[in-house]
Amino acid sequence: MKCEQYEGLFAGWINNELKPAERESLEEHLNGCTTCREELAGMQQLWAMMDEVEVPEPSHNMQTEFRAMLNDFKAAEAGKKGIRQQMGWLLQWRQKWPLAYTFAIILVSFGCGYLFFNLKGGSKQDQQMAALTTQVHELKQTMALALLENPSASERIRGVSYTTEIKHADKEVIDALLATLNNDPNVNVRLSTLDALTHLAGHPEVRQGLVQSITTQESPLMQSAIADVMLKLQEKSSVKSFKELLKQKDLDHGVRDKIKETITQLI
Amino acid sequence: MALLFERYHRPLYGFLFHMTYQREASEDLVQQVFYKMLKYRETFTATGEFVHWMYSIARNTLKDQGKSLKQRVKHENTDDHAERLSGGLTPEEQLERKQAKLGLYKAMEKLSDSHREVLTLSKFQELKYHEIAQILDISEIAVKTRAHRAMQELKSIYEKTER
Repeated sequence: MKCEQYEGLFAGWINNELKPAERESLEEHLNGCTTCREELAGMQQLWAMMDEVEVPEPSHNMQTEFRAMLNDFKAAEAGKKGIRQQMGWLLQWRQKWPLAYTFAIILVSFGCGYLFFNLKGGSKQDQQMAALTTQVHELKQTMALALLENPSASERIRGVSYTTEIKHADKEVIDALLATLNNDPNVNVRLSTLDALTHLAGHPEVRQGLVQSITTQESPLMQSAIADVMLKLQEKSSVKSFKELLKQKDLDHGVRDKIKETITQLI
Repeated sequence: MALLFERYHRPLYGFLFHMTYQREASEDLVQQVFYKMLKYRETFTATGEFVHWMYSIARNTLKDQGKSLKQRVKHENTDDHAERLSGGLTPEEQLERKQAKLGLYKAMEKLSDSHREVLTLSKFQELKYHEIAQILDISEIAVKTRAHRAMQELKSIYEKTER
């Protein structure tokens, strides 16, 4: 055989995928062909070197974003699916049963609907639903608060993202979030907390807490993120805190410019 | 799905990183691939392997986005990345290794997309050639030939840059 005919085997050799017979025939060829032997040795060396090529770690944000995307998707899907399933069910029955049965089924379902609404059985169910919803809410809140205390940063981010699902956040949640914003050692946790708090900006105590937090943040990342939020919320009372921040000598240059810009835009 | 994400987001990210050499873009792409898998989950047949399906979707996503991505700054990413890879060696060894690694990086960057793809899948994603054949939808022999040509190309680029 010619050298080219062994090319497929070369690839199998470096990836350790040759059958014994193939290996034998390649080895036999290599014994008699210096060119191929050298080429294969070179390739194998390079192949081994590629082991050291590393891929950077994906950031924690990816997890949070995935969860958010998944939740959005589930919510969107729940609406669509209900209708589609019902339609599919009807279609299936229509194929299997004669038309008369279909009418019968429709009549029965109308009758049931009539009975159901007339007997006002719904109102009791509604009450139960409401009670259940409140319970789920409380559960979520407790879980979010517990997660915020977790030693693992990614768990704490999860806790923060839970709080965004709570519709009416009470003072306890807000206080916990503000405490995380000011004291958490991990900047990613603080960033996602800031994000969660931005959603709660309707509460005056959140706005106040955010303004107070401006001077306590030391990371340039947080400082510029807060500046963005303040601009978005058009919070004019933050100008004073920003001016105070500008007095700090060790402030990052980029952040300094950004804050100056933010102040002019707010005024 | 959350479980699948836990298990596969790292390998998927690795694949996309090698195909783009951009960290943030790769993270975005991972997100897009998972979104597509959710959306088109009916197209996944239980007969095939999940990873094959995932990489096929990843390839299509890359194709859609790839052109606009690729032209952007590539080099600073790899330079910066190679910087961070050294550790625990004497300065000279470190320098030598770093240069060799950087050379290999540059060479991989210069590989054509189809060649880089086959090497990434076999080397970094540790897939067998018959699996790659399914993902790329070509014969196993074609995969082997392509892998061989890819190694040849990589070797010649690497040797050129080292000199």
